[in-house]
Amino acid sequence: MTDTRLRADSVARTFGDVRALTGVDLDVPAAAVTALVGPNGSGKTTLLRLLAGLDAPTAGTVTYHGPTATREVGYLPQRPSFRPGFTVAETLGFYARLVDDDPERLLTRVGLSAAADRRVEALSGGMTRLVGVAQSLAGSPPVVVLDEPGSGLDPEATARVFDVVGRLAADGRTVVVSSHDLALVERTADRVAVLDGGELVADDSPAGLRGSWGGPLVETVVNHVDGVTTGPTEGDTAQGDGQ
Amino acid sequence: MTHLTRLRAGLAATRAVVARELTAVVRSRSYWLLTAGVGVVVASVAAAGSGVDTGYVPTVVDLLVPTELLVPAVAFAVGYRVIADDDRRGTLTVLETYPVPPSAYVLGVYLGRLVAVLAAVSLPLTAVGGYVAASAGPASPVFATHGGVDNPALYGRFLGTTALLAAAALAVALAASAVSGSRRRALVAGLLGLVAVVAGGDLGLLAAVDAGVVGSDTLSSVLAASPTSAYRGLVFETVVAVAVERSPGTVAVGPAVAGLVGWISLGLLVATIAVSRR
Repeated sequence: MTDTRLRADSVARTFGDVRALTGVDLDVPAAAVTALVGPNGSGKTTLLRLLAGLDAPTAGTVTYHGPTATREVGYLPQRPSFRPGFTVAETLGFYARLVDDDPERLLTRVGLSAAADRRVEALSGGMTRLVGVAQSLAGSPPVVVLDEPGSGLDPEATARVFDVVGRLAADGRTVVVSSHDLALVERTADRVAVLDGGELVADDSPAGLRGSWGGPLVETVVNHVDGVTTGPTEGDTAQGDGQ
Repeated sequence: MTHLTRLRAGLAATRAVVARELTAVVRSRSYWLLTAGVGVVVASVAAAGSGVDTGYVPTVVDLLVPTELLVPAVAFAVGYRVIADDDRRGTLTVLETYPVPPSAYVLGVYLGRLVAVLAAVSLPLTAVGGYVAASAGPASPVFATHGGVDNPALYGRFLGTTALLAAAALAVALAASAVSGSRRRALVAGLLGLVAVVAGGDLGLLAAVDAGVVGSDTLSSVLAASPTSAYRGLVFETVVAVAVERSPGTVAVGPAVAGLVGWISLGLLVATIAVSRR
C-alpha cells in the first residue's frame, strides 16, 4: 500500500460567490510525482495553495501525513521572482539560513552551481525557475508543491525543469505539480489528477487514465476536458487560476 | 515545535532578514544618493546659520526644523516599498512555508532598514557636531545657565531624539508599505503616511485646540501624540532648555517619549497584522 503524504477530504473553496473547488478528495502518494492538470480556471492553483497550507478550505480538510520536519511543504509559485541585486548563491543563502540549510546543496540539487555568482535579475526564465525549485527544497521538506514550473519557458528549459522534478521523486520526495504540458506530465508523473470546473474528474496513473479513457494521455484528456492543450502554454495569472 | 525552538527559529529568521535588508540598502545607488543629499542639506543649513560657530545648542536650534522634515522623508524613502515589493514578488507567500513568523520578518525588515536610516541621518549630523567641536572652541561665547553648560552631551541628546523620530517614522512607513499591496499604492500610502507624521498630528491638535477639545492645561501632554510635536518638544526640553532660565514647558517629556515609542509599536503591529493576512 502506498503511503499518503497529503490528503484532501471533501475540500471546497469559494471566493465570494465563485466556487473554485467543490468536493475534492485527493490522496497524494509519498515519493511520487502527482500532476494536477486541467484548463485555466479549473482550480489547479487553488488546490495547490490548499495543499501547500497557504490557504484554508471553505469546507473539508487538508492534512499532512509526512514525517515531522522544520519545513513540511516547500512551494514554488507560478512566476517566481527574487530581489534584484543579489546573486543566485546569496538568494539561496537567504532561504537556507531560515531553515539552517546549506545553499551549496541547493545549488547542486538543481544543477546551478556554475551560475552561483550570477545576479538573479540576469538569469533566463528557465534558470530563474530552477532557482525557485532550489528555494522550494530549502530545509528538505518531505513535500514540494510546484505551480506550473514550466509555464512560459521554451521546451528545452521546460524539459530541464521537469527532469529535476522527476529526480526529486526518485530520491524519495513527494512532488505535486501543476502543468498544461500533458506530454511532459505523461512522462514525469506517477499520478494524474484531472480538474475541470473546480471538480476532480479523474485521479489515476497515466497508464490507468489511458486505459479508462482509451488512447494516449494527451488525446484522452484533451477529449474529455475542454481547454487542456498538448504543449506548454502561457500559464495562468499568479492568483487567478480557479478564482 | 517547542516555544524555545520557535523563538530560536524566529531570531534566526530576523537575523537573516536584517542581513538581507542591510545588503540590499548598501548596494542601492539611490540610498547613497539619498545619504549624500541629506549631507548636503544638513551642511547647507548649518552653514547658513550661525550656530556652528557658537556652540552645540545654537546648532541644534538651527537644525531642528529642517531635521523635523528631513528625517521622516528619509525614513519613508528607505521603507515605503520594501514590504510591498516582497509581496509583489511572491516572497511573502513563499515565506509562509518557512518557520518564519510574520513578526520576525517585519522586525528583521525594520531593524535592517533602521540601521540604514540612522546611518543616513546620523553621519551628516555627527559631522556637523564634529565641526562645532573643532570650530566653536574656547574663543566662542559660552552658552550657559544654571541648568548647565553647552556641551557635546546635549548634542548627543539631540542625535538620540532624532534617532527616535527616525525609528517612529520608519515604523509608520513599513505599516504603509505592508497595507498597500502594490508599488503604486505603496507610494501613495507612503506619502500619506509622511504627511501624517510631519503635519497630520500637529494639524489635528490645532483643530482640537480650536474646537476646545484640548485645553491649555492638557496641551503639553496631548502634544506627545504627534510625532513631530513630541520630537520638537523633546529637543526643546532636553537640549535647548539648558539655555533658558526654566523649562519652556513645550511638552511633557515622559509622554513624548512614550508617544514616539507608541508610534513605533503601532507601526510594527499594523505591518505584522497586514503581512500575516496576506
